[in-house]
Amino acid sequence: MSAAAQVTDSTFDQEVLQSEVPVLVDFWAPWCGPCRMVAPVVDEIAAQFEGKVKVVKVNTDDNPSIASKYAIRSIPTLMIFKGGQRVDMVVGAVPKTTLSNTLEKYL
Amino acid sequence: MNTQDKTTQASDKSLEVLRQFAETYAKRTDTYFCVDPGVTAVVIEGLAKHKDDLGAPLCPCRHYEDKEAEAAAAYWNCPCVPMRERKECHCMLFLTPDNDFAGEQQDISFDDIRGFTNHS
Repeated sequence: MSAAAQVTDSTFDQEVLQSEVPVLVDFWAPWCGPCRMVAPVVDEIAAQFEGKVKVVKVNTDDNPSIASKYAIRSIPTLMIFKGGQRVDMVVGAVPKTTLSNTLEKYL
Repeated sequence: MNTQDKTTQASDKSLEVLRQFAETYAKRTDTYFCVDPGVTAVVIEGLAKHKDDLGAPLCPCRHYEDKEAEAAAAYWNCPCVPMRERKECHCMLFLTPDNDFAGEQQDISFDDIRGFTNHS
């Protein structure tokens, strides 16, 4: 497993919506192949943006309320939250540059 | 804490059915497995798990409000409609040769699959 903290239905509000820095949320599922590919990229992003961006993960099987609230369909889906609002979204296993360029817009 | 540790695998029987399906379907559609065989293994295990739980190999790379209803609707049962119509598999199980992540394999053994999913 990766270094990014797992967030649940019950901790999402506090950990993501009330965060003082932008948050990258990796919505994943256990038997999703591309999630395996994006996980190390997400970990690298966490290290690269340490202190500037919070990086967390949500297991959509175990946390259906949050997955439904944000209308997660294709997995992996990566969402960026800032000030309690969803501000951007990237779907699928994307290269690190795509993700870091997207994040830079919200710093 | 939610981790993958408590995730259960599919039955051996369903895993073998889906493994054989994946090999046959890749060859029939001229598609290839991912360069990372761990991706292939995890997806086949997920399809087999859904076959056990729902009676149909529902795509494991999507979130559903109601898995039973989706399995009955069949749109996302493997091979899904986007795969059959346009060779689009966002799960990266069946990749066209021009895909950057396409490997050269159309075969994967039962033991190879479990070699990856035993540790997932």
